[in-house]
Amino acid sequence: MRPILLQGHERALTQVKYNADGDLIFSVSKDHVVCAWYSHNGERLGTYHGHQGALWTVDVHPSSALLATGGADNTMRLWEVKTGRLLHTWEFATSIKRVEFSPDGRQLLGVTEKRSGHLSTIVVYEIDPDVDAEQTDEQSLRIVCDESKATVAGFSYGAKYIIAGHEDGTVSQYDAKTGELLLNITVHEPDMQITDLQWSADRTYFITASKDKTAKLVTTNDLEILKSYTTDTPLNSAAITPVKDYVILGGGQAAMDVTTTSARQGKFEARFYHKIFMEEIGRVRGHFGPLNYVAIHPKGTGYCSGGEDGYVRVHHFDKPYFDFMYEVEREQANL
Amino acid sequence: QDLAKKNTANRQVVEQRRRLLEEWVAWREQMKEMLDEEGIEVEVEEDAGQGKDADAEVEEIE
Repeated sequence: MRPILLQGHERALTQVKYNADGDLIFSVSKDHVVCAWYSHNGERLGTYHGHQGALWTVDVHPSSALLATGGADNTMRLWEVKTGRLLHTWEFATSIKRVEFSPDGRQLLGVTEKRSGHLSTIVVYEIDPDVDAEQTDEQSLRIVCDESKATVAGFSYGAKYIIAGHEDGTVSQYDAKTGELLLNITVHEPDMQITDLQWSADRTYFITASKDKTAKLVTTNDLEILKSYTTDTPLNSAAITPVKDYVILGGGQAAMDVTTTSARQGKFEARFYHKIFMEEIGRVRGHFGPLNYVAIHPKGTGYCSGGEDGYVRVHHFDKPYFDFMYEVEREQANL
Repeated sequence: QDLAKKNTANRQVVEQRRRLLEEWVAWREQMKEMLDEEGIEVEVEEDAGQGKDADAEVEEIE
């Protein structure tokens, strides 16, 4: 499983994403640049210039024609993937921490940061998937997070709910049409920030990562905690693998939080846990800074990680990864 | 005697895993039915088998 190193960013990676086919990877970094790469060989396809500050987030439209980004310049932007053309800019009072398309690609949500005089919000826009269409500035929904700021958010199956993770360790379920708060559950240690929220393939459950050193598997309908994965380091990201029942966790102690920093002490490894049995089954080393994001290939054939060290590492899984089975899984498969 | 103890412990671990797996499979079935009722079609790669994908084959050759 020799990784491919994507070199091109000059500062820490903040998010990496595969497109729906898994042939492309998009990366955003504090260096203001968005990069697109071919996932099979790591060749750079192009860059998207225009943002005037650190980038925090990126998402690819299900059609792979459009790209959404958000960052510290208080803008959310829509790009044409193929040409790098900037299609639309939405401006806000604070930075954009998260963007995500709905499963059908008809809506785009953004999470805005909290700052003096501004509460954190989740905003939703209707999106016209045609690259030449005029996009609207009118918000179809605006959810104000007055209890605790939202750090991450996304659409459930069928865009029925918006699920958000908060700074105080809770997860909220909102009606995605009305914005009504339906549920708010403490999923992680109180006041330990939720750093990531990624969906299962069918979006009936999701995984959250937290600074409390755990990741949790949570149901979309009831926000019931199904599984808990305990590590020894603050987590920045967690992903659910299709095909195999694993989860991949990434994190590490930030340099400013440890007296002496070495790769060993920082625990800069991607950790694989069995999704159902909650046991650690392997680690992948390589980064020399915390892992800020892990993304899984939509077909489950590999994953990539974006590090504080400025690198994206792309891994293609080899045969043992797919062959590995617990005895009881083998039994189940043979039924 | 130690061996007997160890065997019991192992058996318990296996029983526990079997239970977790059965619970999981049952819950997944429920969710699939729920999505059907909601009229939502999902392209699910999950439970798709052993990842016998073109990419995976290439990796094996290396």
